[in-house]
Amino acid sequence: MSTPNSNFYKKDIVPVSIFALIFLTMPLWFSWIGGYGGLDTKIVIWVIFAVGFDLLLGYMGYLSFGHAAFFGTSAYVTGLMLLHYSDNIIPAFFMGVLAAVIMALIIGQLTLKRSGIYFSILTLAFGEMLHSLVLSTLQDWTGGDNGLTGLPTPMLFDLKMQGHNVYYLAVFIAIIMYYLARRIVRSPFGLMLSAIKTNPTRLEYTGVNVARYKLAGFVISAAYAGVAGALMIIYEPYVASEFMGWHLSGQVVIMSVIGGIGTLFGPMIGAAFMLYFENVASVALGGAWLLVLGLIFMFIVIFLPGGFVEAGRKVRARFFGGAS
Amino acid sequence: MSILEIKNVSKNFGGLAALGNVNLTIEEGSIHSLIGPNGAGKSTLLNVLIGLLEPDVGTVLFKGEPVLGKKPYEINQMGIGRVFQTPAIFDNLSVLENVAISSYAARDKGFSFNVFETPKTARPCIELAKETLQELGLYEKRREEAAHLSRGDKRRLEMAICLANRPDILLLDEPTAGMARADTENTIKLLQNISDRGGITMVIVEHDMNVVFSLSKKISVLAQGCIIAEGEPGDIKGNPKVVEAYLGESQE
Repeated sequence: MSTPNSNFYKKDIVPVSIFALIFLTMPLWFSWIGGYGGLDTKIVIWVIFAVGFDLLLGYMGYLSFGHAAFFGTSAYVTGLMLLHYSDNIIPAFFMGVLAAVIMALIIGQLTLKRSGIYFSILTLAFGEMLHSLVLSTLQDWTGGDNGLTGLPTPMLFDLKMQGHNVYYLAVFIAIIMYYLARRIVRSPFGLMLSAIKTNPTRLEYTGVNVARYKLAGFVISAAYAGVAGALMIIYEPYVASEFMGWHLSGQVVIMSVIGGIGTLFGPMIGAAFMLYFENVASVALGGAWLLVLGLIFMFIVIFLPGGFVEAGRKVRARFFGGAS
Repeated sequence: MSILEIKNVSKNFGGLAALGNVNLTIEEGSIHSLIGPNGAGKSTLLNVLIGLLEPDVGTVLFKGEPVLGKKPYEINQMGIGRVFQTPAIFDNLSVLENVAISSYAARDKGFSFNVFETPKTARPCIELAKETLQELGLYEKRREEAAHLSRGDKRRLEMAICLANRPDILLLDEPTAGMARADTENTIKLLQNISDRGGITMVIVEHDMNVVFSLSKKISVLAQGCIIAEGEPGDIKGNPKVVEAYLGESQE
């Protein structure tokens, strides 16, 4: 978002390197904190989803309750490609993401005419329409309630996409996606997205084609969801109908809010936190996990509207006297 | 030479004629004020000029090109800037970013997927933004968040946003509404400076007669949707029609 200056490239290299370091070494230390193989891959996938979601919610200020539509569309198309075309993940991945982008172009055209709560409701409605299509009308293709089963083991040419292979593929893609997201928010394009959030009327009267920027922001965010959806199928070759459902849309919203929207970094922490606790801490807490999550969510919304990132800043300001 | 021509523009809201066959020519480089009592149709006319309202009949030509039917951003790209009654700025962005938006918009003709902009390619836009801030005396505050500026500075910033894409004409809707005397005087000086230096044409809708008579080269008086008088400030001051429009029944 800042205007380019001489430190321009340095500002990306440091955070992206830290990001890469954390995730590339994660399989080494994840088990120390009770994590297990597979969960790390899921975290990386959700991190991609959350980063893209933050571009829309945190920067552009549009709260979508239907992002599962793009995650799910990509997941189904990737699954169908693996099943019917080739077990090679490259065409499946690209077709999946492309399908999510096309879906976003259509849904975006229709929903972005409204903002605020109306936009949220419209995206929710579209998401649910697609979900019901998958469950009923298209069930011969999608497997309906049972999901899309019987997929072959995804291959990257001769390499079986299982275990660590999938993990490092996901990390590789996540590094690229995170770098891109940083470039987006620090570019004039990202500046326009932030301006849409603050004052779209002024922006329009400053000679900016606001509608087109909004659509572009929405489609980019959906593309991130699409990448995550496709990777999810490569990780676990089974398309669950829930991938299209509002529960998944809600999950990414909660992750973003807990982490701290408009920071890119926050939603990533939110995603990692939620998956970790859902899978690790829930073993200890049992069914009470959702209750605890609800309490955490309420606590953050009421006392820390900036999420974990704000909490971190407050701690730093108190103990190190840094800028809050 | 005329820069903006309004020909036979009429606009009805239900049964109410907000504008009735308005003809108006704005000369290039002039400061032209629109005055009139409340409900005279001044804001309606301004909204027609910026594409916010479509008139029932009539045409608006800017440098000979039709304006009507175009989107607000396209009208801005043609060279028509708009200053709002309450300063409209981007609160959560820095002062420099506020103005850079405008110079990027001008360069990119309204849209560009410039995600890989480098400091080098962005420099002309940033320099232009800085230059504009210097002109308006906001350069020292370029790193501040716009929300924290004083009201007067916010007005300056809005002017900077409007000027950074080098418009030919600025439309100002009550630029001094709600301002203290000192702020009003500053705004008058600011507008006068901009007009003197840049040769930018200005159309001002204003209630404050002090502002109108200090700045305007030409004044058009609207009443009940029609232009009832037009001329230089001296002609308007003593015009009986204008006095009647403002004082109404007391003349009878």
